Amino acid sequence: MTLIGMQLRNPGLPATTSVDPATVRVTFEYVACATVWLLVGTVIGLIASIKLHWPEFLPLAWLSFGRVRPVHTNTVLLGWSSLALVGPALYVVARTSRVSLWSPRLARLALWLWNLAVLGGLVTLLAGVNRGPQEYREWVWPLAVIMAAAVLIAGYVAYRTVAARTLPEVYVSNWYILGAFCYLPILYVISYLPFYQAGLGNTVVQGYYMHNAMGMWFTQLALGVSYYAIPRLLGRPIYSYALGVLGFWTNLLFYPLIGAHHFIFSPVPWWLQSVAILFSVGMMVPVWAGTGNLLLTFKGGGAALRRSYALPFFIVGLIGYAFSSTQGTIEAFRSANIYWHFTNFTVGHSHAAMYGFIAFIAWGVVYGLVPRLTGHEPNPLAVGVHFWLALVGVLTYVISISTAGVLQGFSWVAGQSFIASVIAAEPLWLWRTIGGLLMVGSHVVFAVNVWSMRPRAVGAPAPAPGMVRSTA
Amino acid sequence: MSFGGLHTDHRAIVVAAIIVFFVLSLVMAVLPALRQQAFPAPPGVTPRTGDAERGRQVYMREGCGFCHTQFVRDLPMDRPYGRASQPGDFALENPPMLGTQRTGPDLTDVGTRQPSDAWHLIHLYDPRAVVPQSVMPAYRWYFEEKDQAGPGDVVAAVPPDRAPPGKVIVAGPEAKALVAYLLSLKQAKVAP
Repeated sequence: MTLIGMQLRNPGLPATTSVDPATVRVTFEYVACATVWLLVGTVIGLIASIKLHWPEFLPLAWLSFGRVRPVHTNTVLLGWSSLALVGPALYVVARTSRVSLWSPRLARLALWLWNLAVLGGLVTLLAGVNRGPQEYREWVWPLAVIMAAAVLIAGYVAYRTVAARTLPEVYVSNWYILGAFCYLPILYVISYLPFYQAGLGNTVVQGYYMHNAMGMWFTQLALGVSYYAIPRLLGRPIYSYALGVLGFWTNLLFYPLIGAHHFIFSPVPWWLQSVAILFSVGMMVPVWAGTGNLLLTFKGGGAALRRSYALPFFIVGLIGYAFSSTQGTIEAFRSANIYWHFTNFTVGHSHAAMYGFIAFIAWGVVYGLVPRLTGHEPNPLAVGVHFWLALVGVLTYVISISTAGVLQGFSWVAGQSFIASVIAAEPLWLWRTIGGLLMVGSHVVFAVNVWSMRPRAVGAPAPAPGMVRSTA
Repeated sequence: MSFGGLHTDHRAIVVAAIIVFFVLSLVMAVLPALRQQAFPAPPGVTPRTGDAERGRQVYMREGCGFCHTQFVRDLPMDRPYGRASQPGDFALENPPMLGTQRTGPDLTDVGTRQPSDAWHLIHLYDPRAVVPQSVMPAYRWYFEEKDQAGPGDVVAAVPPDRAPPGKVIVAGPEAKALVAYLLSLKQAKVAP
């Protein structure tokens, strides 16, 4: 896979003339807004990272570690990762249903409500207005209401688009995408309603919420768009359609059972923890079914892979999916949890998942689909620079912070004084910043590439009509 | 294996997804949460009031809970932090701040372990004045640097080389509240 300097002329690439300009524009707007949140969210993450080995860096109340930490997580989760997948997902439901997006105007309304919520969250959290350290639900409720409205509107647009399809079958991508839009509102409402969240009830809901946000929203959307984009880019059908459907149902049945594995050894009921550990193993079924299925789709597609700058992102993303999920399962075992829980190992795990899996899939989708929409390609060399900076960056990040976590765990198990674990981790926190710096650098290159893929004004010379091959 | 009409019926897919997820959410989150919130607080434990409660708000505002846990596991390495936490320990905490990261030590019982308000004031103003290797943020914005302490001022006894020359460090209301909160973190005695 020569990624730098390869030639790219794919007959399927020119803009798909059957996609109406309104759908193109709104999809691109989602991607562009997501890119802004990626830059903002990861620069803030970098500030947080630097503060751990240089505590006097930017000593301002609004930028203290405890405030920027939730701003980083919420901005990259709800801003970048969500919008970068929802935009392409809306395009995928329209394409696989062979219709225009049901209402690009409503899709745009959802986008701006979404942006409003993320911006409001950013400002309020920096100002110290929050609901306490309840991960990914720190926003005060009015912002959560705006967010929920945005998700419901975008989901309704997706649903109506699929309902208007001109084919009898609902393509497997749309199972995942519609599923995601069903789960997130339920998850969000349950996590914000207060009636069962006094005392330890809150912690039970916390485990459920933060876990399912990953598996029932990001994973669903990422797999949904992958089931469209990978076969499309390879010009080959999915290895096994049935395996895709199996993944959908097993994910739905197993994933919601494992939230409590974030509170192993806590006073949360033992049966809840044990069920969580058991189904953390069960999760291997949808994970390996999904990864295997999508990776096997590449079999025999070597020529397309060598030509494409988008497909390598999918390869990394799929490996990231299998790796981070398997790692999560192992972390849930009580014997491993003793060493790893509360340590930075968790931070490494979450970045392996949200970055190694979700972000790489999102980039693959953006590079794979947006040029087809707009007829404008990024510079392949710049895409290669993005790829390698991001890959080396995230490897540096995950390896260093996970090592820090292991050292912390050993220090605690050995019964050393607490500060010994800080001293052990500190050199690795510097390495984590170096990895983060490369990652942020790759995002700047990505932003330039997104800009070069933008749709040009109507009336610009139309690209040659493309072949609309049906792989879907 | 056939999935029947689901393949061609978007409505059925959505309804099935909603029902299954909702039922699993009830079983795994809402019902256990209802049960867990019913545990009573240990005898003698009363809700926080006054400065300690205001200090809890400051603790939340500053995101202290992202680095400090407040729950003790039944594991040897957690012994220094107290006895293993029980559901009732969190009955009056809203929200409870068990946490997922220990970048700093657990604070369940810090009011017993470190009962000196003077230590806490110095530590909040400049953590590295008392723990040189600490990476905790310095919360200087909750202190005032004055030429002279006035009547009623609470002074943080910061070593001279850690404060601006010729100044005394006076605790602001939030700093005092935060210390009151930290001193209120004491694990209740319960029968094992």
